[in-house]
Amino acid sequence: MWENASLGIKVKMRSASPRSNFRDTDRESRVTEQDEHAQDLEAHRKYLQRYALFHLRDPSLAEDAVQDTLVAALAQRERFQGRSQLRTWLTGILKHKIIDLTRSRGRGLPADAFALGEDDESAGGAFNAKGRWVDPPADWRMPDAALESSQFWKVYQECCRHMSKRDALVFSMREVMGLSSEEICKKIEISTTNLHVILFRARLSLRTCMSKNWFGVRPD
Amino acid sequence: MIHKLIDSCAHAAQLSSRAMEQPLTPAERLRLKMHLMMCKRCSNFSRQIQFLRRASGKLPEIFEKDED
Repeated sequence: MWENASLGIKVKMRSASPRSNFRDTDRESRVTEQDEHAQDLEAHRKYLQRYALFHLRDPSLAEDAVQDTLVAALAQRERFQGRSQLRTWLTGILKHKIIDLTRSRGRGLPADAFALGEDDESAGGAFNAKGRWVDPPADWRMPDAALESSQFWKVYQECCRHMSKRDALVFSMREVMGLSSEEICKKIEISTTNLHVILFRARLSLRTCMSKNWFGVRPD
Repeated sequence: MIHKLIDSCAHAAQLSSRAMEQPLTPAERLRLKMHLMMCKRCSNFSRQIQFLRRASGKLPEIFEKDED
């Protein structure tokens, strides 16, 4: 076992091949290589942390997800060839870790976390009894221009935090992680119908929040 | 019968949202189209949730930026 100082974990070294039994430099260079790999991976920690924290909302859970990701990545590092896509690969591992954490009972979310409640039937009060808008959506001018503004993204993330934990997670799995409906339904064990209800709620919530807090629109 | 052809905004909004996960039936598509043609509010809603999808997809790029 060999401890990597950067990641603070013990990584099992591949056993030396017979040919290099008598060549210490070979083993040394493998240690240096591992060190380099670990450092490469460390460079992505901040990005991974932000990504995980957005989805999980709990800093210590996010830290676990990131740590698990880096450990897994280090163990498989030699299998991964394309340096330029390292971040994409790491994100892929992180996505799986995030999903695992949301599924495990007793951590992250309780067992019935994705169940629908009474409030869901009425789309959280967005419509009155006749099915008309309570806060009718008014026009947003040139919304794509907003994507250039860092303040926009702060408001966006803040609005996501306003969603219920359930809605936020399902929304981020679908819209940020880009999982398909089928994948989400399978991973968190909900029906397609429930998924649609939750996403509808999440979209209503986010749209209203952004309308008020960024696009500065007062309802029609 | 006519009331069945005109959807409420609640239903139209729901269809707009669901269409982002799976294709609507031809009947649903037609009813939604009719409603959107006549309803500016629901047209806004539909456009805005699609914009928010575009934005959400770009969020990982934002995490890449160094500023805190």
